[in-house]
Formats: sequence, C-alpha cells, structure tokens
Amino acid sequence: MGNEGAKDLAEAAVSKARSAGAAYAEARVQSNWERQFVLKNGESQPSFFAEGYGIGIRVISRGALGFAATNDMRRANIGELAKKAVRLAQASSVVLKEPVALDDSKPARRKWAPPETRKVENADSGWLRKVLLDVEGRIADGKAGVKLPGRLLYLGAELEERYYVNSDGARVEGRLPRIGFFGSLTAVEGGDTAQRFIQQGETGGLEVVKRVRLVERVEEDARAMGKVLRTAAKPPADTLDVVLSPELSGIAAHESVGHPQEADRVLGREGAQAGESYLKADSLGRKIGSAEANVSDDPNLPHSNGFVPVDDEGVETKKRFLIKDGVINEFLQNRTTAREFGLRSNGASRSVSFNREPIIRMSNTFVEPGDYTTEELIREVKHGVFFKTFTEWNIDDKRLNQRYVALEAYLIDRGELKGLVKSPVLEITTPKLWGSVKARSKHMEFESATCGKGDPMQGAPVWTGGPETLLAGIKLGSR
Amino acid sequence: MSKTDLEKLNEAAVSAAKRLGVDDAVALSARGADSMIRFANSSVTVVNRVEEAELTVYLAKDKRRAIASTSNLEGTAVKKFVGDLFSSMKGLPESEYVPLPDTPSKYAPSRLGFDRKLEELDDELPSLAKAAIDSAAAAGGKRSAGVINAGKGTVAILTSAGTRGSDSRTAITLNIRSFADNEASGHGLSCSSSLSGFDPKEAGRRAGEGAKRMKDASEPEAGKYSVLLSPTVASNLVETVAAAASAFSVDAGTSYLAGKLGKKVGSPQFSLTDHGVTEGGLGGRVFDDEGVRTRANKIVEGGDLRGYLHNLTTANKWKTKSTGSAGFVTPHPWNLEIGRGDSSYEEMVREMKRGIILTSNWYTRFKNYRTGEFSTVPRDGAYLVEGGRVVKSLKGMRAGDDLQRMFSAVTMLSREREWIQWWEVDTPTLCPWMLVDGVTITRAYG
Repeated sequence: MGNEGAKDLAEAAVSKARSAGAAYAEARVQSNWERQFVLKNGESQPSFFAEGYGIGIRVISRGALGFAATNDMRRANIGELAKKAVRLAQASSVVLKEPVALDDSKPARRKWAPPETRKVENADSGWLRKVLLDVEGRIADGKAGVKLPGRLLYLGAELEERYYVNSDGARVEGRLPRIGFFGSLTAVEGGDTAQRFIQQGETGGLEVVKRVRLVERVEEDARAMGKVLRTAAKPPADTLDVVLSPELSGIAAHESVGHPQEADRVLGREGAQAGESYLKADSLGRKIGSAEANVSDDPNLPHSNGFVPVDDEGVETKKRFLIKDGVINEFLQNRTTAREFGLRSNGASRSVSFNREPIIRMSNTFVEPGDYTTEELIREVKHGVFFKTFTEWNIDDKRLNQRYVALEAYLIDRGELKGLVKSPVLEITTPKLWGSVKARSKHMEFESATCGKGDPMQGAPVWTGGPETLLAGIKLGSR
Repeated sequence: MSKTDLEKLNEAAVSAAKRLGVDDAVALSARGADSMIRFANSSVTVVNRVEEAELTVYLAKDKRRAIASTSNLEGTAVKKFVGDLFSSMKGLPESEYVPLPDTPSKYAPSRLGFDRKLEELDDELPSLAKAAIDSAAAAGGKRSAGVINAGKGTVAILTSAGTRGSDSRTAITLNIRSFADNEASGHGLSCSSSLSGFDPKEAGRRAGEGAKRMKDASEPEAGKYSVLLSPTVASNLVETVAAAASAFSVDAGTSYLAGKLGKKVGSPQFSLTDHGVTEGGLGGRVFDDEGVRTRANKIVEGGDLRGYLHNLTTANKWKTKSTGSAGFVTPHPWNLEIGRGDSSYEEMVREMKRGIILTSNWYTRFKNYRTGEFSTVPRDGAYLVEGGRVVKSLKGMRAGDDLQRMFSAVTMLSREREWIQWWEVDTPTLCPWMLVDGVTITRAYG
C-alpha cells in the first residue's frame, strides 16, 4: 500500500503478539475506499464516498484462535490490542476441545495487482452519474419497449489495499480495484409486474463499464422483461429436459457445489450461521454427478470479480477442481482445515475488511465448458425449457435442496427455441441436478455476485458462471 | 476514545463545513466495542474483539447533497475529509433537497436498552458459551455450534443548526444450533439488552431438545398448510414488511405496500410498530441521522396500513412529516414490535387440524418485491400437527407465499413474545408465535 508506516505497524503487531505468548501471529493493515452514486427513477440521490483504514490481528495461543481489530492506529494501542487477542485466545481454553493448528504452506512474499487501464481512483461522482444516465437513457420512458416505473440504479468504484505479514514469513502487498453495478428494475404491463435484479462487475478500472457492456446488457434485460409480461405462457408440467444458461449454471455451481465444498462447513465451523454441508470429511472421491458434471473455482481468472492471487493467510492461490467427471474431487481449504485433512491450503482464505477474520470463501465458481456450440446443445433437446435468467432462488443449509425461479425462459420444441414460458421453477436436490447433466456448451459467460458468509457477515465479491448446461429428465414446478 | 472525543470529532467536522459555507451539515460519529466467541462441535473456534470509531458527514449546498464516512480520525484528517467531500459536490446536479430542522434540539441519552455490565464482558464469554453448550448436551444435543456477541455502541450527533446529543445501546445475543444423529438439528436464541435478561442455558436447552426431537424427521407432502411460525421465523418475515414500509422502497418500486395506505394489509390480529427506543430494545437511538427525534411509528394497526417510514426528503415528497426514521437516503426501522395475542403456544397447536410448526428458517428470497412473492427455507425443528397434536418431525421443505396474503391469513398470536436478533434478523424485533392459514409447502421434485 506504499505506506511504510502501515508496514511497520503490521510488523510491530506480530512481534508484540509473539512476545505475549502467541505461537503464531499475523496482521493485515487494510484500507477500503469507495465511491457510489445512485439514480432512483432518474433522480440523483446524494453522492456517497467512504474510506476505511485499520488493522486486523490474528493469533494462535494454547491452541486457540484469537482475532482483534481496530482503526485506532496509534502504535501503543495496536500493541495493547495484540496482547488482548492473545489473552482472549488463552482464556477461551475452557471451551477448547479441538486445538487449532496450521499447515506448512509456503509463505508468499510478493506484491500483486490486476491490470487496470484507467485507475479506479478517477471514478468521481460525475463519471459514476454519467454512466448511470447512459443506462437510464436506454430504459426510461418506455425506450426499451416496456414501462419501468421502478428503476434503482447503483454504480460503485472500490479500491482495497492491504499489507499482510505473518510469523511464518509471508509478506504480501495487494491492490484490488473494482467497479460494480447493481440495478433493480420493476416492469409493468397490463396490470402484471416483473422484477429483475442485475449485478455486473469486475476487477479493474473505469474500463470495466465498456468491457462488461453494462449499458447494453441492462437494456437487453429490460426488453426481455417486456416480452415476458406480454407473451409468457404457462410452463409444461411433464418430465422434460432443461437447458441452464451461463447465469443459471453459475448460480447452481456456486450454491450447490462451491458452498458445500467449503472445508470449514464440512467440518462444522459455520454450523450456527450458514450451516454445515451434506458432504463429510470422507466424501472426497464420492460420485455425485454424471461424467459431464465438472465444476471448478479459479481465483486467477483475468478481470474476475473474485480475483485473489494470494489469499489472506499469505498463500498463493490456485485453481480448484471441485467436481471432476462427476466425482467430488477437492474442497476449498485454508491453512487450518488443510492441516486437518492432511493437505496443503489451496488459498481459499479471504477477508473483506481489516475488521473481519479471514474465512474460507469461493472466488470464481463455474461449470467447466464442454464441446457443443449453443445451437448444437439446443438441437439435442426434443422437449424442454431453456432457463435464461432467474429471480427468486434459495437452498437449504446443507446445500441439498435448491430452487431457482426463472424470469426469462423459453420452451424448446424439437431442437428449436419457441415462446416464453412464465416463471418455471426448478426445485431439485443437488445429486439429482448434477446427476442429470448430459452435455455442456463451449460458450462461457460470467456474472458478478456478492457471496454472504461469516459472523459478522462478510459480503465477498465473486463471479459465477459457466456454459449452457443440459439437464435430462427434469420435472418443473411453476409460480 | 472517550465520549468527549466523539463530540470533538463532530465539532471539528461541522466547524469545517460551516467555514466552507454549506447550507446544512450533519456530523454523526459512532464508536463501538464488540466481543464475540464462536464455537462449533462444542469447541471454541475463535474469539473476536473489534474496537472501532467512524465519522459520517452529510453536507448540502445549493440543493446538492453528499454523504461520506471515514475511519481515519487522526489529527487534521477530519478537516481534510470534510474539504474533500465539499469539493466533490461541485460537479453534482441538484437533487431532492429539504432543509434540516433549523430549531436546535438537545438529546439526552435514553437509559432504555443499556446495561453497563455489558460494556466489557470479554473474560466471561467462554463460561457463558460453556453454559449454553452443556445445557444443549444435557437436553440431547450431541454437539453444538454457536456464537455469543456482546457489545456497546455509542452515536453522537451535531448539526449546523446546533442540534446535538448522544445515545448508547448495549446488547448480548446467543445463537446456538445443536446436532444429533441423522443430521437432526435444533435451534435456540437468547437476545437481550441487559445481562440479567440473557439466558444461555435456556437457549442451549431449546437447541438440544430440538435436535433430539428431529432424529426421525421425514419430508412432508407438498400442499397448503396452517403454519405456526416461531418468533424467530415470524421476525424474519416481518422485517421484510418493515423494509417494504420504507418510503424509499415504495418510490423505488420494491414495495408490495405501494398504494395501500389506509388499506388492509393484514388480518385484524396483525399490528406492527417501530420504536426509536423502547424497553428491552437492542437497537435504535433517541435521534435519527437528520437530528429528528425518533418515536413510536404504527406501521400496521389492526391489519390496516397506517403509514410509511420517512426521512425529511421522502416526507416532503409525500407531503407529510418525518417519522424520525432517517437514513439520509433510506428511511429504516430501529426496533420492531408485533402486537401480542391472547393465546398460549399450546392453545395455538390445539387449534391446528393439519399444520406445520416451524422454529427456524433462512434464505428468504423474493421473486418480486413489488408483489411480495417469496419463499423461505425452514431449518432445525419442524413438526407436523394433526388434530391438535404433534405427530412427527419434518425436514426437506420450503415455504412460499406472498406477504399480503400471508399477513392477511394470520389467525392467532401468542401472549408470550421474545426479542429476536440474529444472523437472519438484523432489526431487533419483539415477536410472538404466529399462526397463519394456507401457506404453500413444497419440496424438491427429484
């Protein structure tokens, strides 16, 4: 972060914690900067910017984990806080049955930053507003072929800078710029309404807006809403094939593969909040899907919303092959869970702010591409439904029973896309979903999302994505 | 950082703003100290201590408005921060602007919802966690996961018109889940603004007993059921009603309550009030972000929609007065209260011919906020009732409805109410058990 004072404070915190009795200590000085602008039905809302700066200290002492954070950056205060983290960890031993230990991952020592053509710091209120007005200009006053009386458009520019140090020798400096859009569109036609929530974002600078075709994609979504309201018919109720778009493939990969394969959930650490997992520690190698079911998580995808080349435990990240040819292949691991599995961390530990403990997170989770073109895949379907976009979705806390309600969905008849169908519901178990995968296209797309986990809650930027995915023999419901 | 320091921060920010010639300025400084212990498999997983302070500043000049927050509070940083915020307004367009109240108010802290014993509780958290874990084990839970949060938050305000004051809240909450064989689980909560009202043993007992009862759970048939919602589940859904009552949501097209002022939005049994501060309330304060005194706002009374939640800007648009619910941009609730009924839990169960009791839920998501269509996923204790008696435990289901229909089908409420605030309920809510007719229950097709 180019601030030698911050580096000294981090080093001092680790040193103070070690001398207070910590077997292991780490410190992360992190700054978060963001600017936001909002248009509500075309009206400018007050501009907003925020800047946060502080230190998070994590220690292991007598087998217990302690975390402490503050934005009072006086050296003496940080020293006292480091000692407090050690003391609180030691005091918790009355309820400690499973001591914490770390794997022997190689400590990273480097700087990192994604490519950035136009620095994110140049995103002032005027630029943010102009982008939103461009969006507004495409969809207001019925310009997208539908009345949209509810339009809430948000654009934000963020910069995270961190300096991380641990007592195993890691020294990591990272810069993470990001542009993110969120839109809530409410369409009305003939007394009926439809709603679409759109999220777009990538790491990088101001160039992100053009790269993701933000203005064009919001307009396309708005046009589709009008068609849904005007023409969508009741979906078929018999057993059929379902083609999931990249958007649907991505959310299914995230919810029913990524989450249950977080090793902390498998081991029960998130039991009281986001829940545990239908998978157990001995589930590696279990067949869960067809040979066509292949799902991965890759923190190093260029421009990705979940770009993390070195994690918040100072470990170099790598691609994780979560499901390979239908078999549970790998869990997302940090240094403590990896130690319990007798493995090395695959770099899945992330924290969103200085005041949050790093925990296991996904990055960019996706269905791997196949070898069909999209057209060839659709031609495989005699009778089916193509889920293009979704609205409501949820899943149980073991990640076994999930539901996706489509907004834009089409009937497929003898290999051709036909008319729109209204709100088909895919409510399905995880083994059934991944066991039904028959084919995948080679056309890949990614959506940005914010993944919620942890206590206190941490909203982590991720990508979800994949190709068109063909599921055979599915029963749908309707809303 | 002391209380005086918060006031100094505000003085520094407002003085800097005045020197720049703003029309309106508000400085809100906040300080929090929170302690947490988390456990899983009946063993501590982490202890957590966060000490933070933050300054938020609102400026208005020539109908241009901007808001910013910072945690960099050292030395001359505040003056620079306010200067940067003012400079950032130069390119802004005019926006909806309503002047802040020009009559200064002084706010003394409310003593409601504050217990000095909760200010520094770090050293006691492990023994409180152990009490919950042991109680759950004694009731039949084989292992438990949970979290205790305890802390104090203080907010101080100063406006350019001279409105000033500060207020503090304390809270302690326990969220515990116990697990038994066959992935059975039960849930318990204890949420209080005072240490004396905190009962980790009772929350642990509920979680352990729930896990024991869920051992042989099976999936229900899909269909319509009477559903008895625990305070935990009802609070989660009521929070979405309160969000829909924000005038900002109504304007943005994300409220099913749009166009329904004065109309029926619930059964005669359903009443919902938001309190700025209230006895036992875990949140809120005596002033809102714009320096307006908070109060009790009746949102729904006897099933009729009485009003939306407003800040100065939305109130001006709706030709009414602020309800003391600012958010500079979005009005929001502070402490929700659902009116009590006159039934006991046992009487409510006896009324159910064929129904389901739900004790916990998560992942409530909307198909359309404008229509209020949603589904939510029950978890932990769930029981089938036939002929007024619990006959078996249930799992693997989903409840779906729309909020207008659901709250119009509330038939009974319990006398007993609990404060709820946990992972799935942000706004502290005082809530009874709630019996609702005709809720759609679905399960996976394959």
